[in-house]
Amino acid sequence: MQVFDAIVVGAGPAGSACAYSLAKEGLEVLVVERGSFAGAKNTWGGAFYGPVLTNLLPDFWQEAPVERPIFQHRYSFLSGESCLSVDYTGPRFKSRPYNGFTMFRAKFDAWFASKAQQAGAIIATGLQADDVLKNGGRISGIRAGGDELPARVVVACDGVNSILAQKAGLRGELLPGDVKQGVKEVLEFPPGEVARRFNLFDGGGIDWEFIGDCTRGLPGGAFIYTNKESLSVGVVVGLKSLVETGIRADDLLEDFKRHPAVAGLIEGGRLVEYSAHLIPVSGLGMMPRRLYADGFLVAGDAAALVLGTGLALEGANFAVSSGIAAAQAVLKATKESDFSAKTLCYYQKLLEESFVLKDLKTHQKAPHFLENRRIYSLYPKLACELADSVFTSDGKPRKRTWKLLREKMKGRVSFYRMARDLIEAARAL
Amino acid sequence: MKQASIEDKLAVNKYTIDKDVHIKIDGKICKTCDKHYCLYACPAHCFTLSNGGITFSFEGCLECGSCRIVCPNRAVDWTLPRAGFGISYQYG
Amino acid sequence: MNIIVCVKQILDPDLPPAKFRVDEQSKRVIPPEGIPFVMNPYDEQALELALRLKEKNGGKIIILSAGGQEALSSIKHALSLGADDGFALSDEAFDGSDSFSVAYILSCAIKKIGNYDLVLCGRQAADWDEGLTGPLVAHRLGIPVINLVREIELSNDKLRFTRVISGGEQVFDVAAPALATVTNEAPQPRLPTGWGIIAANRKQIAVWNAGDIGADVSLVGGRARRRKLTGLFVTERNRSCEFIGGENVLEAADKLAQRLNQLGAIR
Ligand SMILES: Cc1cc2nc3c(=O)[nH]c(=O)nc-3n(C[C@H](O)[C@H](O)[C@H](O)COP(=O)(O)OP(=O)(O)OC[C@H]3O[C@@H](n4cnc5c(N)ncnc54)[C@H](O)[C@@H]3O)c2cc1C
Repeated sequence: MQVFDAIVVGAGPAGSACAYSLAKEGLEVLVVERGSFAGAKNTWGGAFYGPVLTNLLPDFWQEAPVERPIFQHRYSFLSGESCLSVDYTGPRFKSRPYNGFTMFRAKFDAWFASKAQQAGAIIATGLQADDVLKNGGRISGIRAGGDELPARVVVACDGVNSILAQKAGLRGELLPGDVKQGVKEVLEFPPGEVARRFNLFDGGGIDWEFIGDCTRGLPGGAFIYTNKESLSVGVVVGLKSLVETGIRADDLLEDFKRHPAVAGLIEGGRLVEYSAHLIPVSGLGMMPRRLYADGFLVAGDAAALVLGTGLALEGANFAVSSGIAAAQAVLKATKESDFSAKTLCYYQKLLEESFVLKDLKTHQKAPHFLENRRIYSLYPKLACELADSVFTSDGKPRKRTWKLLREKMKGRVSFYRMARDLIEAARAL
Repeated sequence: MKQASIEDKLAVNKYTIDKDVHIKIDGKICKTCDKHYCLYACPAHCFTLSNGGITFSFEGCLECGSCRIVCPNRAVDWTLPRAGFGISYQYG
Repeated sequence: MNIIVCVKQILDPDLPPAKFRVDEQSKRVIPPEGIPFVMNPYDEQALELALRLKEKNGGKIIILSAGGQEALSSIKHALSLGADDGFALSDEAFDGSDSFSVAYILSCAIKKIGNYDLVLCGRQAADWDEGLTGPLVAHRLGIPVINLVREIELSNDKLRFTRVISGGEQVFDVAAPALATVTNEAPQPRLPTGWGIIAANRKQIAVWNAGDIGADVSLVGGRARRRKLTGLFVTERNRSCEFIGGENVLEAADKLAQRLNQLGAIR
């Protein structure tokens, strides 16, 4: 029976990046993907922050099915019917190579997998890995479609619900407190309408995040991403807080869509898809201590390599980067004909040296900080109330902004508390 | 924009429905549960409460895995649908 | 026993109506972008019967499919389930062919393969539901055809077909070669195995054009159509609910009858 040089489980960004890197070097790679095509099971926000991919596929965006390059970032605080926004755009985002793109996963993942296939990998879609094969203590392949498929090394890129990392003993059960649930609608508009509504006549797009009442104070936020002729509209909320408060993410999404700052912009959009997915958000706090075992590596969401700072939610670029690092470790192991943990640990070293684990370390405190409910209720409210007072001209003499703020804080949050939250924010983000 | 019901939302998705059920619940445990986290965890409203018990219909399942991890009583026996079945996104 | 299975790739029948658009002007169905075509489910059942015959009696299964890129994915799927070989029949001249032309194209390819005992097709394609291709191929080949077949066995050198009829079954013995169209009462198709999918991925699928199969191009394509599609409509279905009451049952029934009459539901 044939033994593959490597089996990659999952054709998301991590899996395809890994398989592409390995196939390019002439290894016999099998990618096993449970969807009927790569991307069929995947959903996200989403904006892909792409420079990592240009190392692998220079100018990928000219060929890949991207929607819009992101020219604008916008953050909004929602409170009641109010909305206070900060908006940033700069020339750097508008020049090539672009920093980020909105895109759809069903399209992008299919394209990325086809690149790995062109490089020589076998992409076996409609095939699900059910278990790992063990030979002594070492992992020697997978069980899929009723067959045993042996390999020198298995790279688990099977996403947040990773069955393989669990079966390999690297990871325990996911905890509701470690994940956020994202629900999203894709709303389609007649040609030109998205550009008109969002003033996007230069072809660029917006990555727009909301915080505050859109999650009724629960940790999380809402988003709108502009695609070519559609909008991706969704909310992302801590799963534990949802179930404990008896709130449903899709109800939050309905509320969000009716907020006055949003309703007019999405009016008349035709719903073409509704999707949901989990995001591992606890960073280093949930990452398996070891991302390797004898004959086994784990990358991407399966290893919880996601950066959620509140300002950014990035996982796909981390997945690509970890997929590439895993491939490098496999290549080293192949060269040395040693697939034991002793050689494969090189993978974790590579991650530690790259932005993947460096960023997660830098923002190590973010997941804890982001549990602070004041971020989602009190502060957006204060910000909106303050803006309301500052901008109101009602014939009464005005107060200094500072004084206004002090008044509004009274009885709701102490000066000390807020200062501490600020310091913590500074440390975490 | 008029409020869309969950049925309206799921109706635009593409599913290939299997005859085998991939998620099973232990109804006996559910009868004794007072939390019913599954109701709020499922973004497709696959879990419903009736006569104090939970019923589960897998047809709208989005395969997110939430119900797998929220049940404090481990009454949800969760697997992925067989390859080739379940949700298939066109956008994602 | 050598079996040829003809398969068609169609728009996924599991598509929700929302993803499905009909352009009544050009009389075309607009396929949703990015959703792959699938093998016609009746053809999958035909393949299942072929696989069972092969498992019992040995032999070879060859897949034929007329169509472009999508044909390749259907053939690949068939290979992953255990078919031995597959050919895509693709040529610009074939574009716009109707069932009559497709049957001609398939029959040319079958003649080229030559050595066969049995040709199988699905009872109809689940997209247009015409059910013409199978019988027309048999006609072109000049071989017997049995439709709505549920089961096939080899019995004393004869092919034994079990055919479904209303409330019963017919059994026919036929000398090979013959063609059968397979009904949905046939066994459900199996799922591909891991190695099956891998083998199918490795296989190069040959593409035959009109010249390869010796097809006369004047008999294929849009210009060979002798039927003209002049209308294609989605029937509108509206659902609504009304409550009709009355002082008593008789009055309510009377009102209901009046209302139904008014709506044209009864006369
Ligand atoms: C709502 C939401 C919004 C997000 N927004 C962003 C964003 O804006 N920017 C960003 O960078 N990231 C975002 N993310 C995170 C990002 O989507 C993930 O981090 C990224 O997809 C991880 O890639 P991956 O390859 O590790 O896993 P996945 O993309 O999950 O891929 C895993 C693959 O494995 C397959 N698979 C799983 N199990 C098996 C099995 N047993 N056998 C075979 N195949 C299997 C799956 O079908 C899938 O194709 C978001 C996530 C969500 C949920």
